[in-house]
Amino acid sequence: MDPVTLGVVALMGAAATIAGAAEDIESDIGSQSNPNSQVQLAPQMGHLHRMINKAASGEPVAFGTWCGVAGAVAFILMNFNILPIVAIAIGATIAALVHAIYTTTAHMGRIVGQSQFQQPLFMDVLTQSLGPIAAHGFITSFCMVGISYLMIIPLNGTALHVFPLPLLAVLWGVTVGAIGSSTGDVHYGAESEYQKFTYGGGTPVAIQGDIVTKAPLGAKNSIDVGNFCVKFGGPLTGFCFGAIVFISTWITVVFGTTGGIIAGLIIVVLLIVLNDRLEVSARNKFGPYDEE
Amino acid sequence: MIDIMLILYVAIGGILIGAGVHFMPVGGAPAAMATATGVGTGTAMLAAGAGMTGLITAASMAGQPVYIIALAGAVGAMLMMGITMLVANIIYIYGVGIVPASSKVNVDPITGRNQEIYKTPGTEGHGVPTSCFVSGIIGALCGGLGGGLVFYAINNTISNASFVGTLDPSFATVLAAIIAVSAFFINSVIASYNIGGTIEGFQDPKFKRIGTGIISCAIASIVIAIFVILMVGGI
Repeated sequence: MDPVTLGVVALMGAAATIAGAAEDIESDIGSQSNPNSQVQLAPQMGHLHRMINKAASGEPVAFGTWCGVAGAVAFILMNFNILPIVAIAIGATIAALVHAIYTTTAHMGRIVGQSQFQQPLFMDVLTQSLGPIAAHGFITSFCMVGISYLMIIPLNGTALHVFPLPLLAVLWGVTVGAIGSSTGDVHYGAESEYQKFTYGGGTPVAIQGDIVTKAPLGAKNSIDVGNFCVKFGGPLTGFCFGAIVFISTWITVVFGTTGGIIAGLIIVVLLIVLNDRLEVSARNKFGPYDEE
Repeated sequence: MIDIMLILYVAIGGILIGAGVHFMPVGGAPAAMATATGVGTGTAMLAAGAGMTGLITAASMAGQPVYIIALAGAVGAMLMMGITMLVANIIYIYGVGIVPASSKVNVDPITGRNQEIYKTPGTEGHGVPTSCFVSGIIGALCGGLGGGLVFYAINNTISNASFVGTLDPSFATVLAAIIAVSAFFINSVIASYNIGGTIEGFQDPKFKRIGTGIISCAIASIVIAIFVILMVGGI
């Protein structure tokens, strides 16, 4: 076990945690993932809203693209002997610009599609949300390309991975998108969008589209969503992605090839046991569903 | 001879990927609102996320025997699915306040726990109960093994291709990774069409469609293998 490699793996885990949290908040503000279906449905149900809806692509593919753009630009700049951290920052900036263009066109396209239900296109909603969306996208791209860079630098003569920087950035981008879509976005779709209904139940089909459109002061907007989800869904998404990046690399660094595979299998069994205990705890705490 | 091995490995890999997708508990958009059981994202997207993690761990073993590469891919994919499903359940339980419950079975086939009384009326279940969790782990195991096999076979073939000699040594690995990613997406999308949106895992009646999905994935994978053979100047 080499302490330098272990330190780099820990740094990768920390960067992945930040990337995961930022990715989730970005997708919550922009309604990028599956809960966008409710934002799209709301005008048809008579609930006009001031929410961003830019889900013109799946979250994993979208983040794969933005991280790929950032990784490719950074890789080219590094070949011109530009300092890696500067190259990664420039790459993430270019990706944020692409991200902002995508957000504008995708949101306008999706909202205009709802004009037959009298849903207006609020330009102030777009301008106020564009900055936070691009900024969270920048943080995600920067961290993802940073992780990929840490994987390709030769540590004691050997790099952690054989893939080149842009390809690693794309693969990790797809993974972080899949994780954000599977975990943190549930907090947005099942809780933030339906906060006016009683806590402690799923969302029945009958109330779908009846999303919250009012905030404590004025109309609810996408920034309110980010403010809500950053308290629970975002950090947990960051923890999830950070744990995946750290554990999947840590096991082979510490235990070697065969030992790493065995350690990985043991961790998987532990995860099954943990999930079972969690389910039992929820059953004991909440009890059967009570309609009262 | 190597070309036959390529077709065989890619076909087996494709079958494993396609079968793996059928095991994954995916609720799609309804699950993101806690209206359906499973992970709240699309089938192909979740499978791709697990597959990419598996591919990264598999490729980090490049140069090792095929079984090590395939197992490393499987472990990477299982870790991704396991941690993701666990964190998703934490959000369902503490963020949304629901108990994981299946709608396809009244009793969990593994734990024997009642599902019906914990389900919110008007929903198709919610969260990731134990049987779905185990099914997801089996799906990731199959997907990771398949992805590892496909990467190994294509990497091996391209590394031995005559046109690679003058290029950068990492070229073969990169090209193999890109084709392996494509093979993963193709097979997971085919399986996703077969499933038709959402599935809870092996206890779901839709799981019986796995035979058709496997045959389709095998045919698509053979076409991918032939494409690779043509690309590296073979036959």
